[in-house]
Amino acid sequence: MHNLGFLFAANVFVWGGIIYYVYTLKQRNRALEKDLDLLKETLSKEG
Amino acid sequence: MNLFLSQIAAIVWKDFVTELKTRELFSAMFIFALLVMLIFIFSVNLSIVKASEVGPGILWVAFLFSGTLGLNRSFVLEKENGCLMGLMLVPADRTVIYFGKLISNFVFLTIMELFILPLFMIFFNIDLIEHLLPLLLVIFLGTLGFCALGTLLSSLASNLKTREIMLPILLYPLLVPIVIGVVRMTGQILAGEPLSEMMNWIGLTASFDIIYIGVSIMTIDHILEE
Amino acid sequence: MSPDVVEEKEEESNALVWLTGFALLAAMIAIFIYVPTERKEGLIQRIMYFHVPCAWLSFFAFFVVFICSILFLWKKDREWDIYAHASAEIGVVFCSLVLITGPIWARPVWGAWWVWDARLTSTLILWIIYVSYLMLRAQSDAGSMRARYAAVLGIVGFLNIPFIHFSVLWWRTFHPQSKVITNEGIGKGMDPSMLATLGISLCAFTLLYFLLMGERVRQEKLKDEIDRLKREKLYSS
Repeated sequence: MHNLGFLFAANVFVWGGIIYYVYTLKQRNRALEKDLDLLKETLSKEG
Repeated sequence: MNLFLSQIAAIVWKDFVTELKTRELFSAMFIFALLVMLIFIFSVNLSIVKASEVGPGILWVAFLFSGTLGLNRSFVLEKENGCLMGLMLVPADRTVIYFGKLISNFVFLTIMELFILPLFMIFFNIDLIEHLLPLLLVIFLGTLGFCALGTLLSSLASNLKTREIMLPILLYPLLVPIVIGVVRMTGQILAGEPLSEMMNWIGLTASFDIIYIGVSIMTIDHILEE
Repeated sequence: MSPDVVEEKEEESNALVWLTGFALLAAMIAIFIYVPTERKEGLIQRIMYFHVPCAWLSFFAFFVVFICSILFLWKKDREWDIYAHASAEIGVVFCSLVLITGPIWARPVWGAWWVWDARLTSTLILWIIYVSYLMLRAQSDAGSMRARYAAVLGIVGFLNIPFIHFSVLWWRTFHPQSKVITNEGIGKGMDPSMLATLGISLCAFTLLYFLLMGERVRQEKLKDEIDRLKREKLYSS
């Protein structure tokens, strides 16, 4: 059982890494969508 | 075919004339290679480590670093005065530019290496003369591979804003196989082993050279396209 | 795009999300509850069930970069450029995970964090090649030049893999021999339950790749759309 720490660390890195990557992807997509909506809104107001 | 060769020769000739007039590249490459060797000699304690074991590595690192200097120069020089545009306007295949640059890079680097070899022999107390022929073959294969990939990536990097930084970053990881190969072969040759002992390495470096020249011919059109 | 198509796509991606989530959950259960502990290496061997799928995923992603790069140079379609970019980034993320979990496994089993073994070395070089690929993309402005250069590097980088493999292999090797595919045939070197677990894990990670690809590709497309609108509507007037 003495290797439990290593196993735990590996899991933290793998799942932490994947979750962090998915989170940043989602975050960026959401920000971009917001930008796009804003842009469309301003354009429709002007046009 | 004749036209193709004479076009390549014209580009090589142009590079030589420029170099003979300015004399800036060759001396810089030579001194830089010498400096790299000296720095390694100072950082490695030669009284503990055997010179014939670290020697090949140091020699090739010196070649590669000073070779990068030459590669950086070869397309940037053309960029500076808009000469590359002129070269591309020439009614010739783009591969002509690639081969012309490849040959002039290769010849410059080889001449520089031939000047470095005697100094290497003196500094490391290694007798190269008895192994000269196999050593020259290895230097030929290694330098050709380095220039084949280097010319392609240098034409690519010359259009970037940070070209001096990006060329080594792009080039060195791709050169790992050939560096391992030539350093190994040089070490074995200096240990007195015959070439037949290292056919696998010769095959690897030779196929590296051929494949990358082939890939460059196929992709150079997409790089030199404005 | 008509609203119907958008809705259909949304449904598809939702199904993929659920499928991937389910597969990952199944993989977790298999890894931590179902599979027996390996006799020699002990508990730590369970790392292998993520390590190998991560490695598989990153190699697959780099292969996709290679294919998309060729297709881009051939067709000159921005779509392929987006796919190559997205795939390279995902490949680098998972290659990093491979390089992190590797040493964590090696420390208790080999007694050293890092050994200059063939597969470790080649994975590291591969990682550097694709990091430099992403750097090249970050360094140049959006446009056809960036796409063409990246495509050339994507091809050159992938063709380097066999050379790296053999040069490093002849250089030195300690890595545990592949147990799944041995000389005796596929799957003889492992217990069936282990093989099943690895299989589930591989499937889960492959699904994860497609899920991430979808998200990453959408990001690039949104960026393109914003750029296009700005260029057409804001700057022209």
